[in-house]
Amino acid sequence: MAEIGHGGKEIVERILGPAEAVAQTKGLKSVEVRSQIANEIIDIAYGWFTPLVGFMGKADLDSVCKKMRLTNGAVWSIPILFDLSEGEVSDNGIKEGDSLLLTYDENPMAIFEVEEIYDYDKGEMCQAVYGTTEDKHPGCARTYQYKDKFLGGKITLANRPKINPPYAPYFIPPLEMRKRFREKGWERVVAHQTRNVPHTGHEWLMKGAWFQAYAELSIEKPLVGVLVNAIIGAKRKGDYIDEAIILTHDELRKSGYFGDHNHLTSLTFWDMRYAGPREAIFHAMLRTNLGLTHHMYGRDHAGVGTYYGAYDAHRLLATVQDELAITPVYSMNWLYCPHCGEITSEGLCNHRQEWQMFSGTLIRSIVQDGVKPPRLIFRPEVFDLVMECAEKYGFGSPFVTDEYLEKRTPVFNIPPLSA
Amino acid sequence: MAEEKFPINIWVNEERYEKLQTAGLADMCEEMLAGLKVIRVYANSAQRDKILQVFPTAKFDSATTKSIELLPREVKDAIFGKVVEKRSIDILEEFLGQY
Repeated sequence: MAEIGHGGKEIVERILGPAEAVAQTKGLKSVEVRSQIANEIIDIAYGWFTPLVGFMGKADLDSVCKKMRLTNGAVWSIPILFDLSEGEVSDNGIKEGDSLLLTYDENPMAIFEVEEIYDYDKGEMCQAVYGTTEDKHPGCARTYQYKDKFLGGKITLANRPKINPPYAPYFIPPLEMRKRFREKGWERVVAHQTRNVPHTGHEWLMKGAWFQAYAELSIEKPLVGVLVNAIIGAKRKGDYIDEAIILTHDELRKSGYFGDHNHLTSLTFWDMRYAGPREAIFHAMLRTNLGLTHHMYGRDHAGVGTYYGAYDAHRLLATVQDELAITPVYSMNWLYCPHCGEITSEGLCNHRQEWQMFSGTLIRSIVQDGVKPPRLIFRPEVFDLVMECAEKYGFGSPFVTDEYLEKRTPVFNIPPLSA
Repeated sequence: MAEEKFPINIWVNEERYEKLQTAGLADMCEEMLAGLKVIRVYANSAQRDKILQVFPTAKFDSATTKSIELLPREVKDAIFGKVVEKRSIDILEEFLGQY
C-alpha cells in the first residue's frame, strides 16, 4: 500500500543497500557536510521532507520565499538548502551534472546529484521567511551564515546513520511510524512539538489535545494517541540537554501519566529556525509525513522574542488549511489555580485574580535554584530523571554547558561504509 | 500610573529557608505553585534591562510570567544574601550598583 505524504506525494525512502552504495559511491568527489546538512539529508532520505527529494533549486527557493509553495504547487514554508563557498565549488571543480559523495564524520553518507549551482539574496530570503532581516533573529543569523553558492539536486542516502543511546528507540522514520500507528489501532494521532522537559502544563496541553482530537470517536477502545515529536538539533547554552528532553517525555508514559495505549515519544532531526508562523506550517508538513492527523499549536508557536504575534501562526495555518492533511488543535494556556487546587485552563477557570502562571523558563529557574517543584507542577519521576540525566549525560548539569557541547555523545554517527 | 515591576523569583530551598529562619525572616516567603516558597525581589524596567545585559543567561519571560528568570545560581545566592543582610527585599539598586 502506498503511503501518501504531504502534497499528495508517495513517501519513498531514498536509501541504497550496502553493496549498491559501495559501487555507486566509488570514485565520486567527496564533500564533508556539517550537522545541519547531515540532519536534513536524513530528513530527505527517510521521507520526513516529502515531497522534497533533495536540496532546493533556485525556482523552488524563489517560489517558497514568494508564494510559500514549491514549484509543483505544494505548500512549503522553509527553504531547504545546500551551500558551498565559491572557492569550494571551484577548488573541487564542482559543476552542474556532477554527482558528489557527501561525507559526515569523514565517512560516506549520501550521493548528491548536483543539478544546479546558483546565488540568492539572503536578505530577501530572510524578509520572506522570517519577516525581518535582523541578524539577531536566529533564523536570519543562520541564513546569513550560509556560504555564497547554493546547490540544488537529488539526495540518496548511501549509509544509514547509527543512532546512539539513549536516542535509538525514538528514531522512528515516517514509514515505520505509520506502521506503528496501525499496530496501535490509532485512528487519530495528535503531535506534540517539543524542545523542553515536560512540566504539568505541557502534560495538560497533551491531555487537552487528546480530548479535542477524540471528539466523536467511539470510546470502546483506544483510538487516539499523542505523539511527542522532539526536535533534536543545534543546542543553545542553557537549554535542557537532549537526553533529558527525550527520556523525560517517555517517562510520562512509563510512570503512568499516559500509557502505551495513548502515548509515544519520537524525535525529528531539525535545527529550529524560529520562523514562527512559517515554522508552524513546516511542522504540519513534517508531522503529516509521519502519519499524524492532528497537530497541537499553542501561543507563539516556534516564535522567538517579539517577532510574531501570539496567534499569527494560527492565522497563517488557516490560509492553507484546505491543502494540509493535518488538523490543527489550538491550545489555551494551562496554569495553576490555588483556589481550584489544580492545573486548569485559562479558558475554564474564572479565579483570574488567583491564577499562577508557569512556563518552561520558570521551571528551569526553580530547578537551577536547587528546588524540587511540587508534583502538581513537575512530576517527581520527571524531576528525578532530569537529575539522573545531569549526572549521566550532562557533566553534572541538566542544562547545556560549554562542556556538554564539547564532549557530549553525538545523537548519531555515520559509520564506515562496507558492503 | 504605577511603575511596572518585574519580579526575580528566588526559590527558597532548604538551605535558604534555614538562613531565613535563623535571621527571623521566614515570614518574608510567599507561597506559589502548590507549596513552593519564594522571595520576590522586584526590578523596574531600567533595572530589568541592566540585569539582562549584565547576566546574558538571564531571560525575561515576557509571554507568561513577566518575571526575570535563569539568573545564575551564584547571582541568586548573592541577591538572597543581600535580602537577609538588609532584612528587606528592596535591595536591587544597591546590588546592581556593583556592576
